[in-house]
Amino acid sequence: MLLLPALAILVAALGYPLYRQAVMSFQDYGLAQQFGQPPEWVGLDNYVTLVTDSYLWTVIARSILFCFANAAITMVIGTALAVLMTLVGRGPRLTLQIGLLLAWAMPHLASLTVWQWLFDAQYGVINWVLVNLGFDGFAGRSWLIDQLSFFVVATVIVVWMSVPFVAFAVYAGLTQVPDELYEAAEIDGASAWARFRTVTVPLVKPVLLIVALLQIIWDLKVFTQIFVLQDAGGITSQTNLIGTYIYRLGLGEGEFGLAAAASWFVLLLTVVLSLYYVRVLVREEEL
Amino acid sequence: MSTRIRTRQRSLGLLAVVIALLWMFPVYWMLNSSFLPYNRIRASEPSFVPLNGTLSAYSRVFDSNFFDTLRTSAMVTGLTVVAALLFAFLAALALSRFRFRGRRSFILAVLIIQMIPAEGLFISQFKLLEGWQLLNNVIGLSLLYTAAVVPFTIWMLRGFVNGVPRELEEAAQVDGCSRLQAFFRITLPLLAPGLVASGVFAFLQAWNEFTLSLVIMTRPENMTLPLWLRTFTEANRVSDWAGIMAGAVLVAVPVMIFFLLVQHRMTSGLVSGAVKG
Amino acid sequence: MNRALRLTAGLAAAALALSACGGDGDDDTTEPAAEGETAEAPEPAELRLWLNGPDTPQPMRDWLVAEFAEQNPGSTLVIEEQEWEGLVDRLTTSLGSESETPDVVEVGNTQAPTFTTVGAFSDITDQVPDLGGDDLLQGFVDAGSWDGKTYAVPLYAGSSYVFYRKDLFAASGIEVPTNMQEFVDAAVKLKQDNASVPNFSGFWLPGQDWRDGAAFLWDAGGDFAVEDGGEWSGALSTPESQEGLELVQRLFNEASGAPKDANEADGHIPFCAGEIGMMLRPGWLRGQIEDPAIGCPDMIANVGVFALPGTDGEPAPVLLGGSNIAISAQSQNQELSANLLELILSDEFQSQYAENGLTPAKVSLADGLGTDEFAAATIEAVTNAKLTPAAANWASVEGSRVLEDLFVNIANGGDVQQLAEEADADIATQLD
Repeated sequence: MLLLPALAILVAALGYPLYRQAVMSFQDYGLAQQFGQPPEWVGLDNYVTLVTDSYLWTVIARSILFCFANAAITMVIGTALAVLMTLVGRGPRLTLQIGLLLAWAMPHLASLTVWQWLFDAQYGVINWVLVNLGFDGFAGRSWLIDQLSFFVVATVIVVWMSVPFVAFAVYAGLTQVPDELYEAAEIDGASAWARFRTVTVPLVKPVLLIVALLQIIWDLKVFTQIFVLQDAGGITSQTNLIGTYIYRLGLGEGEFGLAAAASWFVLLLTVVLSLYYVRVLVREEEL
Repeated sequence: MSTRIRTRQRSLGLLAVVIALLWMFPVYWMLNSSFLPYNRIRASEPSFVPLNGTLSAYSRVFDSNFFDTLRTSAMVTGLTVVAALLFAFLAALALSRFRFRGRRSFILAVLIIQMIPAEGLFISQFKLLEGWQLLNNVIGLSLLYTAAVVPFTIWMLRGFVNGVPRELEEAAQVDGCSRLQAFFRITLPLLAPGLVASGVFAFLQAWNEFTLSLVIMTRPENMTLPLWLRTFTEANRVSDWAGIMAGAVLVAVPVMIFFLLVQHRMTSGLVSGAVKG
Repeated sequence: MNRALRLTAGLAAAALALSACGGDGDDDTTEPAAEGETAEAPEPAELRLWLNGPDTPQPMRDWLVAEFAEQNPGSTLVIEEQEWEGLVDRLTTSLGSESETPDVVEVGNTQAPTFTTVGAFSDITDQVPDLGGDDLLQGFVDAGSWDGKTYAVPLYAGSSYVFYRKDLFAASGIEVPTNMQEFVDAAVKLKQDNASVPNFSGFWLPGQDWRDGAAFLWDAGGDFAVEDGGEWSGALSTPESQEGLELVQRLFNEASGAPKDANEADGHIPFCAGEIGMMLRPGWLRGQIEDPAIGCPDMIANVGVFALPGTDGEPAPVLLGGSNIAISAQSQNQELSANLLELILSDEFQSQYAENGLTPAKVSLADGLGTDEFAAATIEAVTNAKLTPAAANWASVEGSRVLEDLFVNIANGGDVQQLAEEADADIATQLD
């Protein structure tokens, strides 16, 4: 009964749209249908079109790679910063926390614009600094035109945006580890790394697992950062991830049925891929 | 403390400050640009300090109904945060205090919901609100936002509720409280940090969301802050960059205030929830 | 008043009211109900007009609001400014909504076919003669027509022409080019003569800018796509198109100093920084250069303009930019919207566009642009301007960014023939 309000709002706000997506995924649903023409039932056609399109698989593979790279980097940096917070005095800790908070609170339009400027080929601060350090090759160099370098820039931005959440969550977990455990380990002669591995990690494991899972989910769905960067430069077909791919199918090309099928397909794929992970998590939580 | 350890702590402190400065650099760049005249924002020689800067961007920004927009955003965000916390709190109680059929599947379903690619969904959500005549309506938008953050808040809060010893509630029940009263009198106060932590998350989501707001709030008087910020991008056929940055500073200020008010509690909050979960 | 039109509108509204499952019957205030049949004037209402970006300046909007209120007593007009970015998202959702649709909307001329072919706009074929008939810019009427019926009419047009630096031309001893060959030579020479300026462009062409690059494709006789017996297919790998694209690649390599993958936004910044010899831009670039807050008014004395010359010495076919205007099919105020449309296309309103440097929707009003160098270039550029292929699905091609990718790859030194073949295949799937 206590579940009812949450259940009600989820069903109300997501149930019908998801149901509609599901129905649309079996229809030839384009802009004309959006304006009232009756859609034609096409069965599994949309799914067949998708699955047999090698480009979708490229995009999925690329997204998975990008997602794991970003989630891993975010987790490592976030955890490292959290550990750093526990090791330093109050002043530096507050400075670091405020720095992270500011980055987290910055409106996306502003942060994405600023990042574009920083990496701008001709007026970008990064190229300016590199040239002034003596790397003349970076004068006017485009950071986005090359696929790998595009994703490096995207990774920098995505990681920059997601680290604050991870750092705070993990820091909170770390402060709960009783000092006595560290002292005991220190007396036993354990090195700092060994103490971290044997004492800290097991104790903050639950929070690490949850945060990592959320990161993976979010990084697989990353959209805005890629979309904005594609507009600024680079080659779209080489840089599409699942989010931008579905968007371009749906709104860009008016293929709503196909886009809906792609959404459902990606959802199923995500569930399958994370099944193992979720089971570990569930066991960890003694669900 | 040995000098060796002290030196180490000091150099780590220095490292933390350096990282903080690096992380803040884009934020600084936003602030810097908001004071610069147009031709110095993007130039071959970057201006690292707004010497001879101008405040004109701020006067432009204040002139363009910032406060009306702020009110709409505050209402949507407030509704979302309150509704999300309340519903998630109740759900979290149910999930960690009762055993019932479908409990496990509910928890998993909540997790899976977060995996849905959202890019195509807004068209269907528009149709939904249209049917309920909730387009261009603060409640309509809040409803969608709440649904978007509730799964995350349920997961977070469930951990916190697990962290509150059941015995406390039972003791209260012995003292004559009903079960529900026990929840509200005993458990709720202990959950404050968890509620704050989830609240911050919900706040940021609702405060910064763009796409849904773009299609739902089509009338100018219903703009939210991200839409308002976007109006500076085509102000005069060229983007008013200083205006965007000045506007962004203003948009970020309430978030920072909210943060600083709750930051202390959020830190301890995430702990008890996650670890004991 | 056209009684048939009004009757249709009334019927349509009634049908919509019946089919809207959410309707609970107490929204009868806005319903143009049966009594509207007998009344002389339409029910007074508040009309929502969506105008995009800053092309329609504030004084024109004020005029429109005041005039509309005077001609339609009791009714008011509300103009809601939209941003071009995200416009398609909004139109896709809002135009389909009976309760929240704007009544009259501006759409980009290349976006128009997307919405006309799917029934988002009202059929205004009968009204076209009243709106200007043959005097209207035909290309825009074509873009707004589908299956023999007209759904959208032109609002204003504008085409790019070349802005150049007189001082740099003089320093290099170059005359204003009179044909394509001279233009290309001038662009290359300018870049060579100013090699000491970093990022200098003899002709500025950022990699993603296929809209301006199109002029070279069309001038060589090529095109993006062609229709053959109702079937559309990509045409970028034809010999003519190849010649045009090869020229584009040469310009990228030898004349342009713009980033090879950037978009064409904010071109006045490098121009004011002295990094550009020539650039193909819409007329409003002049306003940006003259604006002390964003441009470089000191430089305007050195700025000259001319219409891009084609191979034959006539103006080259540049992309015809501009907007269409249409009535939402879901609007509850069809008759008032028709009145508004008439007002927007009136000579009085349209000539104000001309005063602001935009080509008005009616050919007869083009004189209003004036007689100076800029007006001459504007008029000349439009005479031979061209639209993107009139395929129903053309917007899909733009939405998928195939053309941005093609041009960036060409700028980056790719094999033109192979890239064009790939792009043709992509375009074929999109137009299919």
